[in-house]
Amino acid sequence: MTLSAHGRAQSQVTRRQFVRTASIGLAGGSLATMLAARQAPAQVRGTSLRILTWSHFIPAYDTWFDKFAGDWGEKNGVKVRVDHIPHLEIPARMAAEFAAGAGHDILFNGSTILTRIYYKTLADLTDIYDQIGKKYGGWIPAARSPVDVEGRIYGIPIYYILLPMIWRKDLFDQAGLKPPDTWEAARIAARTLKAKGHPTGIQFSHCNDANLNWRSLLFSFGGTETDPSGERPTIDSKEMREALRFSKALFDEGMTPEVFSWDDASDNRYLASGIACWVHDAISAYRTTESTNPPVFQNAHIGLEPAGPGGKRVSVSAPNAFMVWKFSKNQPAAKEFLVHLMDNDKEGMVQSTGYNMPFLNDTAKKPMPVIGADPKLQVLQDFPKIVAFFGYPGPYTTQIQEVANLFVLPDMFTRVARGQGIDETIKWGVGEYQRIFAKHKRA
Amino acid sequence: MSTSALARPRTVRQKETRRYLLIYAAVTPFVLIAVFPIYWMAITAFKQDPDLYRMDNIPFWFNMAPTLKHFHTLFYQTNYGSWIVNTMTISVWVALITLLTAVPAGYALARLRLPGAENTGIGIFMSYLVPPIILFLPLSRVVAALGLQDSWWALVVVYPTFTIPFGTWLMMGFFKTVPMEMEEAARVDGCGFLGAFLRVVLPVSVPGVLTAVIFAFTLSMQDFLYGLAFVAPGDQKPVPVGVPTELIRGDVYYWGSLMGAALLVGLPVAILYNFFLDRFIQGITGGVGK
Amino acid sequence: MTSTSQAGDPDTKSVRVAVSLAAIPRSRGWFRSQTSRRLGFGYALLAPAALYVTLLVAVPFLFSLYLAVSDASVGEQMAGFVGLENFKAALEMDTFWIALRNSVVFFVAAAILKSILGTSLAFLLLQNFRGKKIVRALVVIPFTLPVAISVLGWKWMYDSQFSVFNWVLSRMGLIGAYGTDAWPVWLGDPRLALIACVLVNVWRTFPFSAIVLLAGFTSVPNEVLDAAKVDGCTFMQRFHHVVVPMIFPILMVGFLFDTVFTLSDLSVVYILTQGGPGNATQILPVLAYQIGIQAGNLGRGAAIALFLVPLLAPAMFVFLRNLKRREY
Repeated sequence: MTLSAHGRAQSQVTRRQFVRTASIGLAGGSLATMLAARQAPAQVRGTSLRILTWSHFIPAYDTWFDKFAGDWGEKNGVKVRVDHIPHLEIPARMAAEFAAGAGHDILFNGSTILTRIYYKTLADLTDIYDQIGKKYGGWIPAARSPVDVEGRIYGIPIYYILLPMIWRKDLFDQAGLKPPDTWEAARIAARTLKAKGHPTGIQFSHCNDANLNWRSLLFSFGGTETDPSGERPTIDSKEMREALRFSKALFDEGMTPEVFSWDDASDNRYLASGIACWVHDAISAYRTTESTNPPVFQNAHIGLEPAGPGGKRVSVSAPNAFMVWKFSKNQPAAKEFLVHLMDNDKEGMVQSTGYNMPFLNDTAKKPMPVIGADPKLQVLQDFPKIVAFFGYPGPYTTQIQEVANLFVLPDMFTRVARGQGIDETIKWGVGEYQRIFAKHKRA
Repeated sequence: MSTSALARPRTVRQKETRRYLLIYAAVTPFVLIAVFPIYWMAITAFKQDPDLYRMDNIPFWFNMAPTLKHFHTLFYQTNYGSWIVNTMTISVWVALITLLTAVPAGYALARLRLPGAENTGIGIFMSYLVPPIILFLPLSRVVAALGLQDSWWALVVVYPTFTIPFGTWLMMGFFKTVPMEMEEAARVDGCGFLGAFLRVVLPVSVPGVLTAVIFAFTLSMQDFLYGLAFVAPGDQKPVPVGVPTELIRGDVYYWGSLMGAALLVGLPVAILYNFFLDRFIQGITGGVGK
Repeated sequence: MTSTSQAGDPDTKSVRVAVSLAAIPRSRGWFRSQTSRRLGFGYALLAPAALYVTLLVAVPFLFSLYLAVSDASVGEQMAGFVGLENFKAALEMDTFWIALRNSVVFFVAAAILKSILGTSLAFLLLQNFRGKKIVRALVVIPFTLPVAISVLGWKWMYDSQFSVFNWVLSRMGLIGAYGTDAWPVWLGDPRLALIACVLVNVWRTFPFSAIVLLAGFTSVPNEVLDAAKVDGCTFMQRFHHVVVPMIFPILMVGFLFDTVFTLSDLSVVYILTQGGPGNATQILPVLAYQIGIQAGNLGRGAAIALFLVPLLAPAMFVFLRNLKRREY
């Protein structure tokens, strides 16, 4: 295709140009001046920037993002190109780019956070991280962990995706049930409504939602995954036992065996088919029913993370961050673009129709864009206070990422649901955790 | 059909009919197994979304009116057009490279009695043991070194790694069926080895060569990992990479478009494949005398 | 051919003399004998393929061997030597043994099913009947569709709610209704999930097996078969003692290809179950991918991915060498 040949030739030319202009421009443009002036300095003009991001669930967001990046590029004389691949395939792509020593300039990490694996080859973004935070009221507490390695920042958290409660108010009302504000209420609702042909479902399988949902349950029950230092797994606890017991009861009373085959999209389909009485899922599930099952869309409501027996609420979410390769030939432009992106954090949230939850306190102030105005979605504004990521309360480490990649925690819940004893399961789980943690210590 | 005819087929015609019926009865399950998923995919491609998500709907047919919406999405909202062009172009190039390497290699191994040929042949075959999930990493270094990252040319360079071994073996089979006397006669006429190869053996083996081509073509369309690792830009992707990466967004699958995409690219190749099936069979047979 | 002597009459002798006389003026420089020319030509022809495979497969293979004995991670691909650590670590993993077992079960089950289906179909296609070409055309389609997409289609067909198989079977009364325990959840029941994956693999590749077998059957010369018939062999005897030995090389190579492809194929399981539920469908390539690429621990991933190679490679080598002997 002639397009690619042309594109390649062009970027070769601009790379040469960049090297020339950079040596002249460096003297004059410091990052602080750049941020203050809110415009890219001469050194990035005529360069190219390549961004790899995921195929956002909301196609309109991708369209907006591509245009947004292109407009910024035009204004600053940078040739920008944005590529999209599914978030689950980004690790493979990153590995390939690393092996090749070449690729995109800015990379997206979503759900699978590999900062700690690649940090030696990622650009240090501490300066713009601090700058952005200072400008917009600070980052929410959970923001730092996915991108911090030994005190330095290697990525800019851009947004996270929530998995709230989505429940069928019509079915609850018919049965005279209270809203599922606690896990106990949710369990009772599932039991009552299953008898009427409307069970619930949470994935007991190898998928990302399973990793998120079961951790939400565990942490809301007061359990933890690692100690605050992240060195030691803490899943052998009273709270874990309670959570496992609860999940077994929830499964027996309120679900059907199909949940063992579910993937990330199955609960969406469950809701869309009209069967589910509630699901614990991203609002993508709710939004798609607008076109696939309008009555469900009208009757579904969004709820806050249910509280555990102790009243605690923790919502485990999937963080998303942008990183910059150290071997990128255009770090200044990359940094400038990221700053620009966070400057328009609110706009981004609007374009994602409220799907992207902000890491910046200013954007998280009520009323938040889109969700502040929608009566059903307003409750999402209360989530930033309770959001957490894998490894809670410890940091997001490489070993925790591997634990997640091998679905150890969901497997524990699956075993118990299938009838294995709780003590036996915990013993197995602890063994797996320790083995993985030990390997990483060795390496 | 009267029972007496079944019980004691007296006429030849009755025997024939019974035989035909038996064969058709036996063949039908196979056709059903092979084709049913295709039929299913075809129906899904034309179904409206709400039609898919109702449990009481009949899955085999349309409960709501069929729609071309998914194809519209495919062609206007994704780069499907580019993907098809890319896929075809890549496959043609890969077939060409496979031709230029596997055909000579097959001939050399089959006819020229080279010492060490056996082991070389086995070695080439054994390259299939190396798993692509590891192979793609050093290959990405090669791709980057060649400056081909993010262009479909990277795939043109990489795909022959799995088409050449089988292609070589296939051509070996074909060349073994060419009577030695033909080659010898050519050489006696003063052709030399190259001449004998080009002027006598190749023309006779055109069916075999075509078979290797179509096989390389088909294999090129099976890859996902290499395409994912080496080609990120939307308009550079081939269909097997573009479709799953851009029609699955987060946890939402665009089933209609997904299925439509598969069919539009798979069916023409299947038809093409069939033209060469006879030759393919002949080629595999090559090692055994007929 | 070459000037080796053969018992022959004066005419052939003179022909041979003429040939070698004719050959002499053609040789120039150091291309003295026909042998060296043949060899030179041969290696020249072989070179492109051999080079390609060496550069793009053998060298990367050595690199992956290096990975398997190092503690490399995706972020640090040149790392320290750790000997057989990674293999030891793999052997200590519960999941590894499960994956190994599943890989073998998968392969064996698929091979059996493919042989049965492939053989039956090949026999049927041997017969002459109207519409044979159409049948052949239809039956080949599963093989030509891109795997990433056709497996997605199967994912939908196995769906826990909307599975078309369940819809049909339950309306036929063979299984329970939706929501009961008798409604099979293909990808969620550990007992069914692996078989479900095997079935998809078989569906995709049994046409290929059938074609290879068909090729074999058609290659058996009719004279041999007729001779056997005349000798009074029954169908089964003919099959065992005549057909099978003759097509053995073809069968073997087809079988070997299939072995390698099936054992290293991760697409079916990756798309359908990601190794779940609870590792019921975990197989070596998927495990290797999850550990090596997704979690970034390249050294261990490589060790798992290459685990079967030391076992398969010698076996393949021996088979193929024997094959060559048989042919010649």
